[in-house]
Amino acid sequence: MGAPGRGAASEGRGTVLARAVTDGDDRLLSAEEPLAGLQSRAGGEVPGVVMVPELLEIVRQVRQRRLPLGRAIWAQDGAEMITAWVEVEPRTDAEGCSVVLRSWRAVATAAEDAHAALERRNRLDRQVAELTARLDADQRILTVESECAELDLLTSAMATGRGRIVTEFIAAGGHDPARPLHWRLLDDARIKVEGSPREWRVVVIPQGRPGYEPSSFELLLVSDEPPGGLPHPEHGAGGAEGLGSQHLVGQDLAPVLRRPIARIVANAETIRTRLAGPLPDAYADYAAEIANAGRLLLGLLEDLADMEVVESEGFSTAPDNIDLAEVARQAAGILNVRAREKGIEIDAPSAAESLPAVAEFRRVLQVLINLIGNAIRYSPENSRIWIRLDSAGDCARVTVADQGPGLSDSDQGLIFEKFERLGRSGDGGSGLGLYISRRLARAMGGELSVESAKGQGARFVLEVPAGSHD
Amino acid sequence: MTENPARTMDEPVEDVLRAELARGDAAAETVLPILRHLVTNADGTIFSEEILARVRSMLEHLVRQVLDVAAGAGEGGQREHEPGALDALEQAFVNNPALLSHLHALALEWQLTERLEGRLALDPVSPPLLQELLASSAPETQGLAMKFLASQARWCQAQRRMELPLRELPMELLHLAFLACRTLDLTEAYDGQTAAAEAVRSRFEEGGSRNGLAGRLIARMGADGVQALSICHAGVALFLTALAQRSGQTREAATLCLNDVQAARLALALRAAGVEAAGIEQQFFVLHPDIALPQGLDRVRPERAATILASGRGSPP
Repeated sequence: MGAPGRGAASEGRGTVLARAVTDGDDRLLSAEEPLAGLQSRAGGEVPGVVMVPELLEIVRQVRQRRLPLGRAIWAQDGAEMITAWVEVEPRTDAEGCSVVLRSWRAVATAAEDAHAALERRNRLDRQVAELTARLDADQRILTVESECAELDLLTSAMATGRGRIVTEFIAAGGHDPARPLHWRLLDDARIKVEGSPREWRVVVIPQGRPGYEPSSFELLLVSDEPPGGLPHPEHGAGGAEGLGSQHLVGQDLAPVLRRPIARIVANAETIRTRLAGPLPDAYADYAAEIANAGRLLLGLLEDLADMEVVESEGFSTAPDNIDLAEVARQAAGILNVRAREKGIEIDAPSAAESLPAVAEFRRVLQVLINLIGNAIRYSPENSRIWIRLDSAGDCARVTVADQGPGLSDSDQGLIFEKFERLGRSGDGGSGLGLYISRRLARAMGGELSVESAKGQGARFVLEVPAGSHD
Repeated sequence: MTENPARTMDEPVEDVLRAELARGDAAAETVLPILRHLVTNADGTIFSEEILARVRSMLEHLVRQVLDVAAGAGEGGQREHEPGALDALEQAFVNNPALLSHLHALALEWQLTERLEGRLALDPVSPPLLQELLASSAPETQGLAMKFLASQARWCQAQRRMELPLRELPMELLHLAFLACRTLDLTEAYDGQTAAAEAVRSRFEEGGSRNGLAGRLIARMGADGVQALSICHAGVALFLTALAQRSGQTREAATLCLNDVQAARLALALRAAGVEAAGIEQQFFVLHPDIALPQGLDRVRPERAATILASGRGSPP
């Protein structure tokens, strides 16, 4: 088998639990579990900036100094404390790093009592508040302070309205604004503020002796969304993709669903691995099924969000001079662990090979991961998958060939359709991968096609415009 | 080893190494005295991790603000700065005892503010005395109280974020800060510093800072100012200002004397400020419930207390 992706030389012996790749802006381009799960539970995305603080620090240092580094990291993951050992080294092909996860240990953290939790919430809210105000015992405004330009209108209105009741300025739906609302009802209310596209959360912290009526209040406005102007890693570069409201799944649904589903998967994994205590085998198996179902949902969610993007009007990619051989080696490296679980060998291009092309690295990687993932899923155990490169005139081609059951002519016509599963079920596919991959290939000025015969394995061919050797 | 790229570029390596060595030696010499202090000082409040972290963070914030202004970004603007310039200016600030003790006092004040909020439900922003002043029938007092409340709210928010806005520095410290920046002659990027610094200084109004407003408010209260010498009534900020004003100490010294090992200084300061023995006992009950006061404090007259305090070190004048 060929070189299994980047960093093969120094990976040496020892266990590799997962790999991840980052780019020149410390964004996680790809990550295997459990790193991917940790990233999403930390509020991040793949691709997206590394959200685990200690990992981000290491990745940044390695990228800047271009020296490899091995280090233990600690991270809080919901109710668990994660201790992990990672080895990070600079990529030779591009800016950024490749990350290898060597060990992973999760320990349940002690539950926090309600008072401490409230204290912590208050601390966090004060830290991130973009408007702070003081109210007297009757909720009249004493002072207001904000440096957020989006809140300028509200801030100046409140400043001139000093001495008036705060609900005149901060409307909590369906309430007479001239009368104070009980502070507990105002606390945690979601509001819209004129001049700001974001949703805001009202935080009211009472002051005074416990058991007595509060003597004054602290009022904060906090938003869970970052201030405007930050490009979304997925949608930023394309520009034309920013047709916001059309992306129901990607922008509205996925961010809301991702976290709870990830939680389900993580908890099910905890049960399955018996981290929380001994358990009969049958229950551990159920937990494994729950975790798998959750992963399927997560995968489907990502695919739906991707589909939305590639289907949107004005979708375009950002072509660059890339080396198809390098993309193929990375894709193979990322999926190597999964392949080995089934005893499958991936025969990737050797380190000496190169094939210049003009395409977007990330998108080609996405297509290849999809093709190789499919090949692993549908190939028999102990088989082989080949990744071959060739050029034909102004085309550069990557072929992914497997020893699976193959496809009949009629199936070949159907397989690139949306939600086409060819009658399969229960294998973790969403029926969107190939559809998205073909859209991506075409958006890059190329094509994705299949050659196969029933019982002869399948050969998927990705074509993109050729680049020049220089 | 040095992490100062600005210096390594234009100095021969030997000089850099020699300078680093000298710095290392100086640091090594201070190890024992510091260790001795930490080991024998059971009450670690004034050198606790929290206090050190807060002082460091405020220092860094000040350094950035001064460099922002010097680079012409104006107040509130944020720029990237050479790590060399940041380090050099921070070092200059650390070497300035007045600035360092000011920041230390602020960190201690905030720590006490937070503790009393947790322990006695004492509102950090609008304690009972301030609420009375806000309801005052004298419009000037009321206006001043309102201004102080706003600046105290801003200060609390900044302290929670471990920051200190430039405009909160006393005039002479602000001056020192810009002076340090000029003396260091920090690269061409900071050419416009003099003009920019002048602009900030000319807009500066010491009476408008939190400490300035507190001082004006206490002064305006006149004889009633003694009310502010009850920490539960006045809150930490006004208490400290009143204690400093009425006992003839700096606000920094007044803050330090709230520390456990400074009990005698606190008793004398309160007495010098005109508080009766019963009142002093009450303050001790709030701040140091475990410390018993010596009998006969009443017999030490306020003027005498002030003299002892001023003579320092407890030796008879």
